[in-house]
Amino acid sequence: MDAELILFGLRVASAVLIVVFACVIGWLLVRELRAAAAEHQVQRRSFGSLVVMFDVDSKMVPTGKRFPLLPTTSLGRSPTNTIPVDDNFASSVHATITRRSDQWWLEDRRSRNGTTLNGIPVEKPAIITHGDIIGIGKMRYMIELMEN
Amino acid sequence: MSSHRSLNPSRHEAVAERILLVIAGLFVVVNLAALNILRGVGSQDWTPILVWIAAAAGGHLVLERRLPNHDPLLFPLVMMLSGFGIAVIDRLAPVFADRQAAWLLLSTAALVFSAAWPTVLRLLRDYRYLLFFGGLGLLLASFVFGVNPSGQPGAPTLWLGAFGLYFQPAEILKIVLVAFLASYLAEQFPLLSSARANRALEGSFLSPRLIGPVLLMWGICLLVLIWQRDLGAALVFFLVFLLLLYAASGRLLVLVAGGVLIVAAGVLAYSTFPVVTQRVDIWIDPWSRAEGSAYQIVQSLIAVSAGGAFGQGIGQGSPAYVPVVHSDAVYAAVAEEWGLLGAAFIVLMLLVLVARGLRVGIRLTDRPFSALLSTGLTLVIGVQSLLILGGVMRLIPLTGITLPFVSYGGSSLLVSFVMVGVLLRLSAEDPYAI
Repeated sequence: MDAELILFGLRVASAVLIVVFACVIGWLLVRELRAAAAEHQVQRRSFGSLVVMFDVDSKMVPTGKRFPLLPTTSLGRSPTNTIPVDDNFASSVHATITRRSDQWWLEDRRSRNGTTLNGIPVEKPAIITHGDIIGIGKMRYMIELMEN
Repeated sequence: MSSHRSLNPSRHEAVAERILLVIAGLFVVVNLAALNILRGVGSQDWTPILVWIAAAAGGHLVLERRLPNHDPLLFPLVMMLSGFGIAVIDRLAPVFADRQAAWLLLSTAALVFSAAWPTVLRLLRDYRYLLFFGGLGLLLASFVFGVNPSGQPGAPTLWLGAFGLYFQPAEILKIVLVAFLASYLAEQFPLLSSARANRALEGSFLSPRLIGPVLLMWGICLLVLIWQRDLGAALVFFLVFLLLLYAASGRLLVLVAGGVLIVAAGVLAYSTFPVVTQRVDIWIDPWSRAEGSAYQIVQSLIAVSAGGAFGQGIGQGSPAYVPVVHSDAVYAAVAEEWGLLGAAFIVLMLLVLVARGLRVGIRLTDRPFSALLSTGLTLVIGVQSLLILGGVMRLIPLTGITLPFVSYGGSSLLVSFVMVGVLLRLSAEDPYAI
C-alpha cells in the first residue's frame, strides 16, 4: 500500500525529470541561437556589405545579392573564400579586402587576370571607400559602408 | 554585449552543464530507488548509481579544468543516456549491472582523456594507416578466432576474447575507419572542392583516387556481411562512409550512386544470404511467424504497445519476454517502462546529440580533417541509432546493433564515449585560430 504510493510518486518524479531535462536543453539551444543571431546582426551592422552589380548598357544595376563586409574578406573562385566568385576569369584566391586603422584596403593577390577598382587595374594595395566598384572577371561588386 | 559575453563565455556554460548533470543524476537516483524498493530489503544494489555519480562528477570537474570552452550539452546528454542505460540494464539483467557500471567508469575516463588531452586526436591524425590496418587485422582475426560470449552454437561470432573479457573489433574499426576516411578525404579536399566549383570537371570526380575508396569500403562491408553475417555493422560502415563522402564533396551524385549500390547489394544479399532473406521476410510479415523467427520483433512490438503514454514504471512492466532485451532490443524495454514519454525523450536526446556533433563540424569547415572527423563520428552515432530504433519499431528490417550509450555492451559504450570525447575536444577548438 504505502510502497505502492512511493513507487507512483517516483514514477511521476522520473517523468517530470525527463521533461525538465528536455526543457533545459531546449532553453539552452534557444538562448544560444539568440546569441548567435545577435552577434550576426552586430557584425553585419558595424561594417557594411559588398553589393553584386550587373552591367546593363554600361550602367551599374544592383542584382539584389549582397555579401557582408568582414575585417578580412577574401574573394576568389575557391569556395573557401568569404566571397566565392563564380567566374572563369577569377583565380582561386583573387583579391582581399582588409580593414587597417579605420580604412579599407583592396589588394590583388597576384591573380592571373587582375582586379579593377572603378575600371582601373589595381597594381598595389588601394584604399577603397563607399561607392567604389571592384571588378573581378565579369563580376562587379560595389562597396557599401555603414557609418557608425 | 557580445564582447562581454566572449570575455567569460565558459562561466554560464559550466553552470548549464552542472544543472543538466544534476537533473540527470536525480533521474537515475529516482529510478534506481524505485527498483530497489521493488526488490525489497536484502537484494538492494546501490553500486551503479554511486558509480554513475562518480563518473559524472569526475568527468565534469576534469573537463571544466582542462577544457573550459567545450560544448556544454554533449557531456550531460551522454551521461543522461548512459544513466538511462544503467537503469534499464540494472532492471533487465541485474547480473550485468555492476559489469556495465565498471565499463561506464572506464568509458568516462576514456572520454575525459580523449577530450582533455590531445593524445587521442593526435593518434588518430598521425597514425591513421597503422590504426586502419590494425583495425582491419583485428576484424580479420575475429573472422578466424571469433567467439560469441553467450556460447550459443550458430550465433554470430563477432567477439574476440581474452582473459574473460570480450570485445567486438567492428566497434574499434568504426572510430579508426572514420579517422582514416576523414584524413583521406581531407587530403583530396582541394580536388573535391574544385570539382564542385567547376561543373566542367565532371571527369576528375570519377578519378580512381575518389572512386577507389568507395569500392574498397564496399568490399569491406560485403566481407563483413558474408563472413560474419553482421548486417548491422556492414550497413553502418557503408552509410557513414557514403554520407561522409557527400559531406566532403557536396555532390548529390554520391548519394544517388551509393543508393544504387546499396539497393543492388540489398537485392543480391536478399537472394544469396539466408540471414538477410530472413530479416526482410520477418520485417514484411512478422505476425505469421510470431512464434518462430519473428518472436523477437513481435515481442518488442507488444512491449512497446504495453507502455502506453507514460509507461508501466521501472521494474513494473514485463519486457523480459523480448529476447536480448538488454542489448539490441533495449528500446522496447524503455518504451514499455517509460512509455511514449521516455521513448520520445531518447529519440530527442539522440537528435540533439547529432545536431551538436554536426555543429562542431560546421564551425571547423576551414580545417577539413577536423570538420570531417567530427561529422563522421557524429554520423556513426546517428546512423547506428537510426538503424536500431527503426529496427525495433519495425520501420526497417531489424539489424543486430546496439543503441549507443543505452544498450548493454562494454566495447560499444567505450567506443561511443571515446567518439564523444573527440567531439568535445574539437568543440573547444577556436575556428579562427591560426
